[in-house]
Amino acid sequence: MTSTGPFIFDEFFASGKEESISPFLTQTSRTWGKNLPLKTALFSAFLLLLSFITSFFLPPLSSLLLLFVYFFAGTPALLGAIEDIKNLEINIDVLMTLAALLSVLIGSGMEGALLLVLFELSAAMENMVSDKAKGTLLSLNRLSPRFACVVDAEGTLFEKAVAEISVGTHLLIKAGEIVPLDGTVVSGSSFVSLLHLTGESHPIAKKSSDTVPSGARNLDGTLTIAVTRTSSDSTLSHIIQLITQAKDAKPKLQRFLDRFGKWYAMTIISLFFLFAATLPLLFSMPYFGTDGGIYRALSFLIAASPCALIIATPTAYLSAISSFARRGILLKGGIILDALAGCKKIAFDKTGTLTTGRLTCAAIETLSKTPPICTPDEALSIAYALERNAVHPIASAITTFAQEKNIPPAPLINFKAIPGSGLTGTVSLNTKNTPVYIGHAEFIATKIPSPLESQWQTIRTTLQKQGHMSTLLLIENTLFVFHFMDTVRPESASVIARLKQDLHLQPLMLTGDHADMAHEVAKKVGIDEVHANLRPEDKLTKVAAFSSAEGLIMIGDGINDAPALARATVGISMGKIGSATAVDASDIVFLNDDLSLLDWAVRKSRHTLRTVKQNITLALVVILFATTPALLGFIPLWLAVILHEGGTVLVGLNSLRLLRK
Amino acid sequence: MTPSPDHFKGKPVVEHLKEARERGALASSEIHGTEMSGSIAAFADASKEVAIALLLLWVILSHFFPLHTVWPCLVLFSAGWILWKTTRSALLGWSRLERLHRVIEEERWEIEHHRAQERTELAEMYRAKGLTGKLLEEVLDILMADDNRLLRVMLEEELGLTLEAYEHPLKQAFGALLGSLTSATLCLLGLWLLPPFGIYIGVALIFILSATLSAKLERNRVCSTVIWNLAIASLVVGCIHFLIPVIT
Repeated sequence: MTSTGPFIFDEFFASGKEESISPFLTQTSRTWGKNLPLKTALFSAFLLLLSFITSFFLPPLSSLLLLFVYFFAGTPALLGAIEDIKNLEINIDVLMTLAALLSVLIGSGMEGALLLVLFELSAAMENMVSDKAKGTLLSLNRLSPRFACVVDAEGTLFEKAVAEISVGTHLLIKAGEIVPLDGTVVSGSSFVSLLHLTGESHPIAKKSSDTVPSGARNLDGTLTIAVTRTSSDSTLSHIIQLITQAKDAKPKLQRFLDRFGKWYAMTIISLFFLFAATLPLLFSMPYFGTDGGIYRALSFLIAASPCALIIATPTAYLSAISSFARRGILLKGGIILDALAGCKKIAFDKTGTLTTGRLTCAAIETLSKTPPICTPDEALSIAYALERNAVHPIASAITTFAQEKNIPPAPLINFKAIPGSGLTGTVSLNTKNTPVYIGHAEFIATKIPSPLESQWQTIRTTLQKQGHMSTLLLIENTLFVFHFMDTVRPESASVIARLKQDLHLQPLMLTGDHADMAHEVAKKVGIDEVHANLRPEDKLTKVAAFSSAEGLIMIGDGINDAPALARATVGISMGKIGSATAVDASDIVFLNDDLSLLDWAVRKSRHTLRTVKQNITLALVVILFATTPALLGFIPLWLAVILHEGGTVLVGLNSLRLLRK
Repeated sequence: MTPSPDHFKGKPVVEHLKEARERGALASSEIHGTEMSGSIAAFADASKEVAIALLLLWVILSHFFPLHTVWPCLVLFSAGWILWKTTRSALLGWSRLERLHRVIEEERWEIEHHRAQERTELAEMYRAKGLTGKLLEEVLDILMADDNRLLRVMLEEELGLTLEAYEHPLKQAFGALLGSLTSATLCLLGLWLLPPFGIYIGVALIFILSATLSAKLERNRVCSTVIWNLAIASLVVGCIHFLIPVIT
């Protein structure tokens, strides 16, 4: 049973039912299906080479080998062309397949086979790159739980599929688990983190009768919740619905070659029919035979479909994708490069994108009417002793702050954790055992000495206005307020400056956070346009408007960013800090969360588009100055062949330039 | 949780499960295989085989002999081949039926004589489906209580067999007869009316018809199945065509 665990089905369906991981095949035989199109294309290329060699001394064997090339490379191409025609799409692929298959009729089977092999090779390599991207993404964990631990009326625990759980059911959520459905706490208390859901990095205390959204992570205590919404109505489902809508609304991305190829293919095919029908009438030649009009029209069709045109785009894309991969950037297909190059605006989420998403301790404020019981450093030492065994981001921030200042933890006894509230213990201060309390404001509120109440309320209002987080440490009559803030990435300001000045992209911020805090970060990094307090649906609306108007790059990491990432012209997510949902919805993943590569990526995409355009121009030059004059008898055939093959090599070399960093 | 009525398409759940198992059995069969049951499958398979055999024979013989001598050979071969395809289909059907009857008898004997082992097997199967503890024991008790029900469960769940899913060998053979007869008639008629290309047209038509029928039966993509079948036929015939001068 180990070979067909539940994961294999997820992987199988996510891969688009890839036969190399089919659950119905034995594990040992699955490798036969791995990169099958590429293997077939390479085998066809080998057969074509053999056919070319044998054509000099054993023509029937050469024809036999050519037949196999047409079978392996021609059949998939023909199928693709028929699918395109069925969808009323006459594109460059249809033109190439038609030319390759019809070339047999005028005795140019070898040239046709070469077209087919190059065609298959390019497609197979592009597929391989996208499959590799899919494979990398599949290794990321999914957030949404499929099972929940149900507590029945008798207190028995059993697992049940989330989709089958009805409203009112009691669920047990242990520390470290994700809340599977929206609910209300019926017993227990704990801190929960909404980091992946909303981008908020500070933990939120939850106790009896508080609501918890699905997707939140339970940090320390154990909670029992009563389900208030079924899986189809839950917060996570709502976001997934938005993502689906966004994906449907996103206009289909088109390669530059597709846009150019449509009219080119239509023109050439129309001219083919026109020549076939009119040449015999205009020049008094027969319809059939090697001197006939149909033969000439076929020659024209084949001449207008050069190898250089086939490899113009895929080689450029593959070189660029490889270059991106070496920098730790994953592209879900080469087509995204064209879209990226065309965008005029760039939108950033705040938390986790412009900032690191990690809290840092900014200051310690002392509130006391009498001389403080200890110094702020001693308070930090006590806080360190209390928080070093806790797991949430505030605890990590205090621990790191103390370590940076080389402050050791104070000796502590009677340590006690109160899930969802805070921590207590006893320390020895001035040879006296003193109880200490650390935690969020509501936990400490009842213990704050009355003379400090008004002072604390003033500070609290200021902190809320600024959007800063805090935690309180109470030692007898002295209250220490620890201020926390999200750290701006050191590279954010410089990369935004380069995007504005060098690439003329207009940056803006789209965030669900408080406006004051958003403006503060925007000012630090040099963004003038800020849209704050946005819900996922608001973000989606704004992104849709910007994408339709000028083309928008959206960069985000949270689940709440996922609909916007899916709808933007190009969605970019952070691979390390980003939620799996955001990574799934985006088109590009920065695997190392290195924001400084953003301007490089845009520059590279523009370079790729330029290279594609150069390649297509080169291919057309080959048609114009080599193949067509040869057909008309203006230049000798050998020269035409050299120019034709030379053009193909030049296109390949031009694309390889993109491999450079 | 009330199941959606659409899911069952108005049929009882038992009927739905049976259809699902039939779909599973069909999915694990191969179109080219002889194990796929049913008169329509036999029709599709036999017609294709007769067409390709006639074409190959035609390509080889026409290279060495004049048309008027090849013609009787093809007719005679067709008659023999039609009979072979029909009787072979019946024979395979009966052979499968015999195998199935033997399996059912063996399983019945196992249930009667090795109840403890059968219970262990059942426990393993249902443990793999997520049942444990008291619930698993209750399920086992219920299943072991009725031997007929147990036999059915073991046949379906242990052996992956589906009851009432196979057609009678004679009905299957009739499908094969009809398929091979249609194919031979169309190919020979083509050759007679439009020599020598008529046979190619006939074979292509038979392949399109047979591949379409098979694709519909297996719920596969029709266009892709037809193109691949035609490509394989072209490869086979082309291969013989180019090999003749190499060998001779």
